[in-house]
Amino acid sequence: MMNTITYVLLNVFYTVTRLLPFSCRTGLVRIGNPDRDSPVLLTCNYHLTVLRVKRAIKGLDGYLLVAKSRGINVWCAACGGHFTHHDVISALKTSGIEKLVDHRNVILPQLAAPGVESVVIKKKTGWRVVWGPVYARDIPAFLENKLTKKDDMRKVLFPLADRFEMATAWAAPMSLIAALIFLPLWRGAVAPLIFTIWGLSLAIFLSFPLYERLLKRQGAHVGFPVILWGLVLLGLVGYLIYWPGFSWPFLLRWGAACLIIILVLTLDLTGSTPTFKSGLHDERLLAVELDKKLCKGAGFCSEVCPRDCFAVDKPHKTASIPRAEFCVRCGACIVQCPFDALCFKSAAGDKISPETVRRYKLNLMGKRNVSL
Amino acid sequence: MSTYILMKILESAPSRYDRGIGILTLGALDGSYDRMVSPIQQGDRVLDIGCGTGALTIRAARKGASLVGIDVNPGMLDIAKKRTEESGLGDRVTYREMGVAELGSEPDGGYDAIMSGLCFSELSEDELGFVLNEARRILRPGGRLLVADEMKPEGIIMRTLHLLVRIPLVVITYLLTQTTTRAVSGLPDKVREAGFVVTSVKHSRLGSFMELSAQNPSRQT
Repeated sequence: MMNTITYVLLNVFYTVTRLLPFSCRTGLVRIGNPDRDSPVLLTCNYHLTVLRVKRAIKGLDGYLLVAKSRGINVWCAACGGHFTHHDVISALKTSGIEKLVDHRNVILPQLAAPGVESVVIKKKTGWRVVWGPVYARDIPAFLENKLTKKDDMRKVLFPLADRFEMATAWAAPMSLIAALIFLPLWRGAVAPLIFTIWGLSLAIFLSFPLYERLLKRQGAHVGFPVILWGLVLLGLVGYLIYWPGFSWPFLLRWGAACLIIILVLTLDLTGSTPTFKSGLHDERLLAVELDKKLCKGAGFCSEVCPRDCFAVDKPHKTASIPRAEFCVRCGACIVQCPFDALCFKSAAGDKISPETVRRYKLNLMGKRNVSL
Repeated sequence: MSTYILMKILESAPSRYDRGIGILTLGALDGSYDRMVSPIQQGDRVLDIGCGTGALTIRAARKGASLVGIDVNPGMLDIAKKRTEESGLGDRVTYREMGVAELGSEPDGGYDAIMSGLCFSELSEDELGFVLNEARRILRPGGRLLVADEMKPEGIIMRTLHLLVRIPLVVITYLLTQTTTRAVSGLPDKVREAGFVVTSVKHSRLGSFMELSAQNPSRQT
């Protein structure tokens, strides 16, 4: 009971502070009563992740290695170059796990694939990387299935609970900042402001599936906030007419406040979702390109693709990208392909080699194209 | 996929690391690094663990040593390489993208000196123990281990004082360099435990910064 309360409170705390990293202790954690054949799982050292993984694998017997990701979640850390094979190798070599198990298979979260080169780990340590499921809750089923994933264990989703988390992650710090600014200036505005921030944030994220198709259109990142603001203004006018009576100063004041809130929330709306590429990075303009001549149809790409973009034709030893429109440019497929058959291609036709993607991950802000 | 503000800050870290550290240490690091490389001689084979942007590596190379600099951050290594080339020391220095846990590939007794500046404080306890044992293995008998890093001071008064100074510093460090450090505690003891003979320990005024020099007594048994 106490544990559950602590777990819930910690989840609330980490959701409210979701935009900030929180490190926890790295190293080896025993789960249940492991023996020399027990599975070895590895995750990052974002405290919330470790809490959730531990909860998901409660009741199993095994080892959990917590590797350094500077307190950032697996996917962001892997894409940003803060969670790499160096961190995995460090966990494998310095935690003492090699003395505890006879096998050399380590299960990594699939979302670590954009930053962790499994080939390098194998070469330097002899450990074989097995890409586990995207979500920790699927780990027990994955282990029971003899380390094979069902198709849906590979995909990232943006379900209601996650959308609620993102809404909270944005609304909480914005409310805090608004409160700090307006408490000394205009105390009466604080409560309605916070109400508006939470209302808009929840509305934008919870209704995401209703309009997400539209975000793929050109100019959506300008059009969307404008349309949303228009709707909010209409709502404000309606409120004024039916309630206190129409007043221009009120409309202007709260219209401006709503515009600012909407702009902050939609500044990188797609980047706040796991199913779209951030709208602010140049990488959104890149496309993954497959070189059929180099492809051997081994399927490393589809194994790590969180958006199920690939189709692998094993008999003909080839792959294709029939669902490229879902790609979020995480680069996992490019990093993991042992034949260098994949690369990024810019709109202008420039190719970004697998070597460059591996070296710099998405930790670039355009640096991948600029020599230092 | 990511939240923009945080990522933007994190992603631009390597290029701002040096300036950040310079501000934080008020330039004191330069003097410390100069002292650190003073025992290094012409022709020495030297390993720089966590070389970062090459501040220490280049200093040692200037003394005529041949250097291997290792770091896990390719962005930092790019800056280090560029600087080394600009100083005309390119032929004396090799940089490798490699973590401390990957030192297993280095041959026994292959180095005359091993240096590390502001890297141990970024390591976990496990990693620190591992790297000290590896350092002992890959140093030749009589070879030197030279460390400059942030330490937890001894004594409760100093510790409390240190904590008060440290909390704002941790925030500033994070804002400027996006690295968090965990001050190392009891380094001289840990170095001794790994089998080294500690030859000198120099503390800064508050006891929070330490320059340590140790020697590898003989071949590991």
